[in-house]
Amino acid sequence: MTSTIDHTVAATPDHEVVHRPPAVSLRALTKRYGDRVAVDALTIEVPAGVVAGFVGPNGAGETTTMAMLLGLVAPTEGNGSVLGEPLDDPASFLGSVGALIEGPAFYPGLTGAQNLAVLATAAGHDADQVRGLLELVGLADRGDDRFRGYSFGMKQRLGIAGALLGDPRLLILDEPINGLDPAGVREMRGLIGRLASEERTVLVSSHVLAELEQVCDWLIVIDGGRLVFQGPAADVLGGDDASLTVAPEHPGDLDRLRDVLATAGHDSEIGGERLKVTINGADPRALAAAVNRAAGASGLVLAELSVSRTSLEDRYLSMVDDEGADR
Amino acid sequence: MTSMFKAELLKLRRRRFVIGVTIGTVAFAALSALTVFLSAAGPGEPVAARGATVESLGQAGGATQAFSLGASFVGILVLVLFIANFAGEFTQGTFRTLLMRQPRRPALLAGKMAALLAFVAVAMLLAEILTVAASAALAPTQDISTGSWFSLDSLGEAGGDYATSMLGVSAWAAFGMALAIVVRSIPIGLGIGIVWSGPFEHLVADAWNTANQWLPGLLLEALAAGGTPDVSVTRALTIVAIYVIAATTAAALVFVRRDITA
Repeated sequence: MTSTIDHTVAATPDHEVVHRPPAVSLRALTKRYGDRVAVDALTIEVPAGVVAGFVGPNGAGETTTMAMLLGLVAPTEGNGSVLGEPLDDPASFLGSVGALIEGPAFYPGLTGAQNLAVLATAAGHDADQVRGLLELVGLADRGDDRFRGYSFGMKQRLGIAGALLGDPRLLILDEPINGLDPAGVREMRGLIGRLASEERTVLVSSHVLAELEQVCDWLIVIDGGRLVFQGPAADVLGGDDASLTVAPEHPGDLDRLRDVLATAGHDSEIGGERLKVTINGADPRALAAAVNRAAGASGLVLAELSVSRTSLEDRYLSMVDDEGADR
Repeated sequence: MTSMFKAELLKLRRRRFVIGVTIGTVAFAALSALTVFLSAAGPGEPVAARGATVESLGQAGGATQAFSLGASFVGILVLVLFIANFAGEFTQGTFRTLLMRQPRRPALLAGKMAALLAFVAVAMLLAEILTVAASAALAPTQDISTGSWFSLDSLGEAGGDYATSMLGVSAWAAFGMALAIVVRSIPIGLGIGIVWSGPFEHLVADAWNTANQWLPGLLLEALAAGGTPDVSVTRALTIVAIYVIAATTAAALVFVRRDITA
């Protein structure tokens, strides 16, 4: 269940197609630790300018892949490019890449601002941007507190601020919403959206698929180090899998309602006290109106009429289950 | 390398850290001067190994004799500090954070090492100045003349003592860094470093009578003493330099080739 993209064609958040080189391109990238294969001949591309979700079960190889993108871990085999530069020369592209991987790691005895200043200086960036970044991630009033006194959510925010040093063109974020409270999660979602709208590419891994669903326009799914799917998120979350659920006011009318809908040309099946109507590629809203009309014409009152789309989580679990069954 | 040098200095220039080091340096100067001047052997009294005499303290090198003796014990402290600093970068995950910003690993290592050594050099210089001041304050209490202390010869002695101390300290620093890079753990690094440089080498020396001509810790002791009957300063310097080159090369190779997974 993989799809490929033209090397020069990229999807933008509104799925408009433009011609750009991919921000990340990996070819048969492999990492072995002894007999264990952490990443297995992974070939992926992340179009420039998208927010790409990178998902897989625990231990699927997302973090190892990200570490190879950042020059922290050397691939056993394979190659690739980041922002057009060769993967085996991280110094050529890391100046334009910001990352948060395996959790935020800073000096406990230094303040948040001092930690960012150390990082900025090490990278040869201007340390003047530190205050602005602290403000951007909501740490303006805690920037002079020591890192060791931060909550996990604050540490995560500081990690995001560190990733944004130098105004990077590519952001690689490994589980960025870990440890954030609900308000923080919402802020992070907004921040990722804003960053992506500024012509950045964002590669973000998370196990909170409901969050990824809201921010990603490109999706990469791996399992056991192997690619399961890559392509526009719309292909995964499209309308084909939408379902229409109907419930009559009186559960005793279920059989009658099913017959009425069948007469009107709509197949359905009973599940508990509801009917699930087959959509078959129809517009779910138009179908819902037709069902409501047919039920009303037969004197049946509907207590429930809802269209639900298959969530990323459902599709992801289905993909991973299929992949597991294939092995 | 320059960027990493500046970044490391930012960490070292923290007010709290600088105050702590200054207090430690003052304590070192006071303790060294008190120990040396209060235990100085008078005319006809037996002299302990590397001990000072009232006569030697009154000569040109007397002003920095306390510093020289005190500095010979700083090596182990520097070993411990460098192991803790470099191994701490692994255990805290900060090497990972730094390498995502400064991917040239040899430059990162060299810049960090240079900044730490520069800081130690300043601290040692301050220690020498403070020790001379403390010695000058204590000299009259032991009827020691300080007339020869303020001469060109004395300045030369002071420079020589400082250079010898820095050579020893730099070697200990290199060994600490290399050990930390290889083991990536503060407790394991400290355990190996302290046991090796302390009891282990001396136990080996008890069983192998030319060990002091070959083992790094014993050679550094000979260097700090300005040479011994068995080991000249030149020999100590040469062999220690070979150890330092080997240790730093091994550390750099390991650091460049190893995956950063923590």
